[in-house]
Amino acid sequence: MSDMWQEAMVEAFRETTKRIALFLPKLLALHTFLVLGLAAGWLIKFLMLRILKALHFDPLCERLGLALALAKAGMNQPASHLVRRLSFWVVFLLFAFMGINALDLPATANLMSVIIGFLPHVLAAVVLLLFGLLLANFFAEAALIAAVNAQIQEARLISNLIRWGILIFTAAMVLTQLGIAKEIVVAAFSITFGGIVLALAIALGLGGRNIARDLLERRLRQKKVEEDEMSHI
Amino acid sequence: MTHETAWHRVREQLGDVRKVEILVGIPTFNNAPTVEHVVKTIVAGLGKSFPHASVLVVNSDAGSQDATPEAVKQAVAKSIPTALVQHLAGGFHPGPFSLHTLSESGVPGREQAFRAFFRITEELQAKACVVVDANVRSVTPDWMEFLLQPVIEKSADFVAPLFRRPRYEGSLTNSIVYPLSRALYGKRIRCQSGGGYGFSRKLSSLYLSKDVWEGEAARFGIDTWLTSVAVAEGQEVCQAFLGAKIQDSKLSGVDLSMVLAQAVGAVFHYMEEYQDVWEDKKGSSPVPLFGAPYEQATETVTINVERLVNGFRHGLRDLLPIWEIILAPETLAGILPLGLLDVDEFHFPMPLWVQTVYDCALAYHEKVLHREHLLKSLTPLYLGRTASLVLETRQGGPKEVEGAIETLCETFESMKPYLTQRWRFQ
Repeated sequence: MSDMWQEAMVEAFRETTKRIALFLPKLLALHTFLVLGLAAGWLIKFLMLRILKALHFDPLCERLGLALALAKAGMNQPASHLVRRLSFWVVFLLFAFMGINALDLPATANLMSVIIGFLPHVLAAVVLLLFGLLLANFFAEAALIAAVNAQIQEARLISNLIRWGILIFTAAMVLTQLGIAKEIVVAAFSITFGGIVLALAIALGLGGRNIARDLLERRLRQKKVEEDEMSHI
Repeated sequence: MTHETAWHRVREQLGDVRKVEILVGIPTFNNAPTVEHVVKTIVAGLGKSFPHASVLVVNSDAGSQDATPEAVKQAVAKSIPTALVQHLAGGFHPGPFSLHTLSESGVPGREQAFRAFFRITEELQAKACVVVDANVRSVTPDWMEFLLQPVIEKSADFVAPLFRRPRYEGSLTNSIVYPLSRALYGKRIRCQSGGGYGFSRKLSSLYLSKDVWEGEAARFGIDTWLTSVAVAEGQEVCQAFLGAKIQDSKLSGVDLSMVLAQAVGAVFHYMEEYQDVWEDKKGSSPVPLFGAPYEQATETVTINVERLVNGFRHGLRDLLPIWEIILAPETLAGILPLGLLDVDEFHFPMPLWVQTVYDCALAYHEKVLHREHLLKSLTPLYLGRTASLVLETRQGGPKEVEGAIETLCETFESMKPYLTQRWRFQ
């Protein structure tokens, strides 16, 4: 009994020591990857700073309205700062995943291949998101200016509806691209969008029929009465 | 049709004619009701003032459906050679922006017609080219003398039209385009658009050689940049007083902000190109005036001041975030209290208006915002300034309005350092 206990203890100690001996280099590799990731991330961040400055990236974003869109989303730093941080984290995470892969754990065996396979979807989603933000901002601004110049009182409402319509559409596309609850997103979007249009149509057709008629009549008549004879040019 | 193709078409129709002294260009688009009168008057004017000159009449039509070209052909005397060409809006390949540019005459693709006229003028070595809009009912035979004589006998390169217009008409031109152009290039040319123009062959060739027919410049209406380019290029410019302007159709139904974007956009665009020309110019000088003695209009147009002020207030309420990007903080600080004034007390001070226009020009130059948005967002501010002008001069006559325009021009000139100091170093 005593021998068996002793043997079990020694065996367990040996096995553990062996495993630790095998695991320690992998842990060291993980740490090395993390340190390398930090260094590579900082280097990329520094290079991006130079490149974006040379490309006048921030003024370009301001011109395209991206800076404004980011500010509205609560990000008050310049767009280049965001890109630099993003590039740092992308590089760092790549190295971190390599480190985790080096650990050779059963749970993380296919991590790298999964991540690399998913990367194009993430990139496409980021591009879609940026494009959607730009479009939303551009069209909302255009609609706001046009509505104000047409002296429509609900100018800001129209502009916000356009902005949020495009943003919701973008969000649905991004989630679909990432494959997150694909069917639910498509169904939810279709139901919401269709529902809004139907609700508006019914509201205008039934509830607001008289109001809409009065409004149109008033607007058209008023225009005739109030239209200036002045030629501006 | 390109200007090259137009020239070949004209060549085919001319037979033995190799050279003419005067080219008369008539851009048309569904102008059958008025074109016959216009052409007959032009022919009478040519017969009266230039009886011995060889003349070619070219009608560039934008695809009329009412037999306008046929009406032109019938109206011209058989002794005068006539050529008919068709131009499409947007050139040979009409694209999605074909009808983008506007024109006072309502002729789509009007710049294509002008380009064809200039090309033909150059090819036929004409001394002068006169272009008359086909929708102007008030054209008289004297117009030919007033538009052509300065070019043929006085070595002028560009004869701009000057009309007697009712009080407050052309308020956009008088509030921005004219004072700004005058302050920039130092020539007191009223920048009125449409009706009739006279050009020398030298200027026609210059226009053809400039990069104005394609790209960003081509998006603006031709009437504004014809004057800008002629003045900025140091050509001999003058004005011809052509009396009242009665035309068949105005730019009715066209969005004011679009008109503003095109007219003001053209001036801002050429500010970038001719930066070296205007930066050191100080003050202004009058240009020679031909035609009958200039008289001020006594007529006035109906203006709803309350609507103009409401337009300004609406802009102040909703476009403030955009104005914050475009305008300097001190300009915005001056504009904000205006929103609190009652309609009768509303007053948009001239220096503040000048500062606003200069800020917009700087913002356009710096590309702080999408340029079309920038220009269109100026509309409520313009409405505010127009309301102020009407209220300031309501009790007075035409002299008071002219006086206010002159004071505004002087303010633009005196405040020009505000622009030049910021233009390069902002």
